[in-house]
Amino acid sequence: MGAGVPFSQMDSGDRDRLLARLREVVGERYAFADPYEMRLYQYDASPETALPDIVVIPATSEEVARVVKICAESRVPLTPRSGASSLAGGTVPVEGGVVITFARMDRIIEIDTENLRAVVQPGVVNLALSQALRPHGYYYAPDPSSQGACTIGGNVATNAGGPHTLIYGVTVNHVTGLEVALPSGELVRVGGCKSAEAIGYDLTGLLVGSEGTMAVVTQIWVKIQPLPPVQKTLMAVYPDVATASNAVSAIVRTGILPAAIEMMDKLSIQAIEAASHAGYPLDAGAVLLLEVDGIPAVAQELGERMAKVCRDNGATEVRIARNEQERQALWKGRKGAFSAMGRLSSDFYVMDGVVPRTKLPETLAKIDAISERTGFKICNVFHAGDGNLHPLVLFDAFQPGQYEAVLRIGDEILKLCAQAGGSVTGEHGIGLEKRENIRYVFSDDDLEVMDRVRRVFDPHLLMNPGKVFPGNGLQPSALRYPPGYPRRQAVAGGEDLWV
Amino acid sequence: MGVKAGATVLPGHQITVADQHRLSVDDLLPSKIMHPGDAEDAARGLRLCDLTPASVVVWGGGTQLRLGSPPRRYDIAFSTERMTRLLEYEPADLTCRVEAGMRLSDLQAALGAQGQRLPLDPPHPERATVGGMVAANTNGLGRARYGTVRDWVIGIAVAYPSGKVARAGGKVVKNVAGYDLMKLHIGALGTLGVVAEVNLKVQAIPEGDATVLGHFEAAAPAVAAGLQLARSYLAPSAAIVLDRRALWECGLTADWRWTLALRFEGYAREVEAARDQGVGVIRDAGGRVEAADLPPAFWDEAREWSAPDGDVVLLRAIAPIASIPMLADAVPPEASVIIQPAAGVVDLRVAPSSAAPTLQRMRSLAGDEGQVVVASAPPSVKLSLDVWGPPPPGFPIMRALKQALDPNGILNPGRFVGGT
Repeated sequence: MGAGVPFSQMDSGDRDRLLARLREVVGERYAFADPYEMRLYQYDASPETALPDIVVIPATSEEVARVVKICAESRVPLTPRSGASSLAGGTVPVEGGVVITFARMDRIIEIDTENLRAVVQPGVVNLALSQALRPHGYYYAPDPSSQGACTIGGNVATNAGGPHTLIYGVTVNHVTGLEVALPSGELVRVGGCKSAEAIGYDLTGLLVGSEGTMAVVTQIWVKIQPLPPVQKTLMAVYPDVATASNAVSAIVRTGILPAAIEMMDKLSIQAIEAASHAGYPLDAGAVLLLEVDGIPAVAQELGERMAKVCRDNGATEVRIARNEQERQALWKGRKGAFSAMGRLSSDFYVMDGVVPRTKLPETLAKIDAISERTGFKICNVFHAGDGNLHPLVLFDAFQPGQYEAVLRIGDEILKLCAQAGGSVTGEHGIGLEKRENIRYVFSDDDLEVMDRVRRVFDPHLLMNPGKVFPGNGLQPSALRYPPGYPRRQAVAGGEDLWV
Repeated sequence: MGVKAGATVLPGHQITVADQHRLSVDDLLPSKIMHPGDAEDAARGLRLCDLTPASVVVWGGGTQLRLGSPPRRYDIAFSTERMTRLLEYEPADLTCRVEAGMRLSDLQAALGAQGQRLPLDPPHPERATVGGMVAANTNGLGRARYGTVRDWVIGIAVAYPSGKVARAGGKVVKNVAGYDLMKLHIGALGTLGVVAEVNLKVQAIPEGDATVLGHFEAAAPAVAAGLQLARSYLAPSAAIVLDRRALWECGLTADWRWTLALRFEGYAREVEAARDQGVGVIRDAGGRVEAADLPPAFWDEAREWSAPDGDVVLLRAIAPIASIPMLADAVPPEASVIIQPAAGVVDLRVAPSSAAPTLQRMRSLAGDEGQVVVASAPPSVKLSLDVWGPPPPGFPIMRALKQALDPNGILNPGRFVGGT
């Protein structure tokens, strides 16, 4: 990643005093303000960067609460950060201030199979939780494709999804309780935790997906579920994305709800095959990856039924993975899709729009038309089952004007999704990136109520400021770039960036 | 339907004596009635109430009005009876958008015509409304398998005392734009706004549906068998443990003191395998499986059981599932009971005279990890009971949310947790 822009909102005297107070809480080593050391904390997986004034790495919930309180008292912005795999700039400290990071809070506190719960700290990596659960015969269902890097804390902030959310739901459906540090410095436990629910308003449900703008999450209670005995994965090949999209609707109409339905278009297939040889046919217009889970007899039967529906709806070839090795090969292509884009282009910009499933064919056609008109190639790799699109616009960040042009294309695509009755983000969050696009789906009245709710928690707007809400045309104050600075950082091929 | 859509609704219509009694809440009678025609109309009505200020009790089907503390004041019955439209429904998207006053049975009929359903089964669907289900967070017996209201609501339009309608969520099944205000209104008993429209996910009606009854001499092995199944892959869609009286109240008789009723839904072969597993677990636990002719209404009766009328008091304990055996053990002999081991729910029917001591005992056993509420009681009994129990941690935030969205406190004053 390139260097961020040295920037400080704080007067150096104020900063030093604040640093001294924070060091009293976490120790000398775990709070620092050296610009060189802080460079690691200026970016996430989005294009934007901004340097914080101070980085603090607490070890306990109590330390977090004290840090939050000090920041609130000092009226200093606070940005929580964990795996920093946010694609929407959710963890970029655009107003400067303090970045609080959870590298030292990465413990699985408890695995309670009796109550079907796990209790974790925010820094626990998503995949690490499922790996720890596996010997007990359980797993944690939400599986963002970045699950090897993203953390449960970050998943809670964005209400993260993943390929298997079609049947099992997103993060909020699996979180039953939270311990949070409020700007008042209080540490509060909300939700039912090990119970199904608690009395009073569902603050857990409200806080999940609030992108760190209300409180800092310090501990999480999640549901765990038994591992499925068998997973059956099949690949269906189509001449074009429209036929594949209609097949998806046809499957859903039969009453079968697969665990995952993923689609890749022609350009993606070419990139994937060049990178990982997953076995997708190079002459295909689109490939569907479908998965069901269940007991062996059921998975087998559903696999065959889905294969028939696929064939009846225009598939030129259907291949059912016969063993785990073949299954992994099919998924390897999908999971490595984003890094494979490096075969086609030095940079890409990934979108996260959602449309009703039935609007997929017309939306994809319109995206295609945008690509034709602008000359930028656009790949589509996405969660077709729930209409969650991830168009990837390919470009070259070092060509003047290309990044700006790509942002305009992204804006146009999100507008299309909203007009089709969809949303501007399915799982990545609004963050910094889409704070103006949120207007495509919400009115001033809608946003006003959300703002009132936020201020109940955070009256001085210090919690992850500059995110979620529109800036009314204003750029966050720290987002200043010298002319000609390549804002979009190159994501080179081979680097494992997943969505 | 006396007022044409679009016509101005006055700040409260005159109310007939009959309607006053029909719409009474805990023996309090409303002075006026409002029945807005749509979300905007509801917001205009609320604005007028707010300016007065006049306190409002929101009325759907009236099936959950025995829940909650008695209102502090009750000026206006705010009825959603004219807001009954199915606004959008695209079966291939598995989503729909409905007005809050739509009856659940009407919604299920519309979905059923397309082979689909909403897998939530609150009591009295022929009267209960979608808005009421959201506001009261009423869930039936399928909650351990299908989740609760919060897992199926994907969008919401709410009328606020400010006179504005504000939306959250959307019409697609996967959406993280903006705050999830749906969660805030689910179970809030209409204290933060009037739910006017609800967007829902739906699902295909399962191919297979089977029931198995296992009979036991004691509660413990029946509960243990239910828990074992809950933790397995082929979990039943409903698993309830009934004592002999509750079983009789659901239309069945048995010579045994306890019955574990299991319902399996899903793909045909899945149901077959799950039923076999269920039978095996019951037998291993020492239970007896009888090929009883199940009355077709059994599961409906079991669902309605938790929404009693008359003098009966229903206490509901919700606790971590591992503590359900201990709570089941503490049920007094004079109570009848339906336990949902997999959901961590124990419902007790008790007589008014024994409500207070039973409530106290169950609360002390449930401890900090659980909760026991008075889910249904006649007004005279409610006045002598602490309906919700002590306010939960985070209550100051809840009170501040109420203040932010309903600053004059006109919405269902006093009915919710901590007198909210």
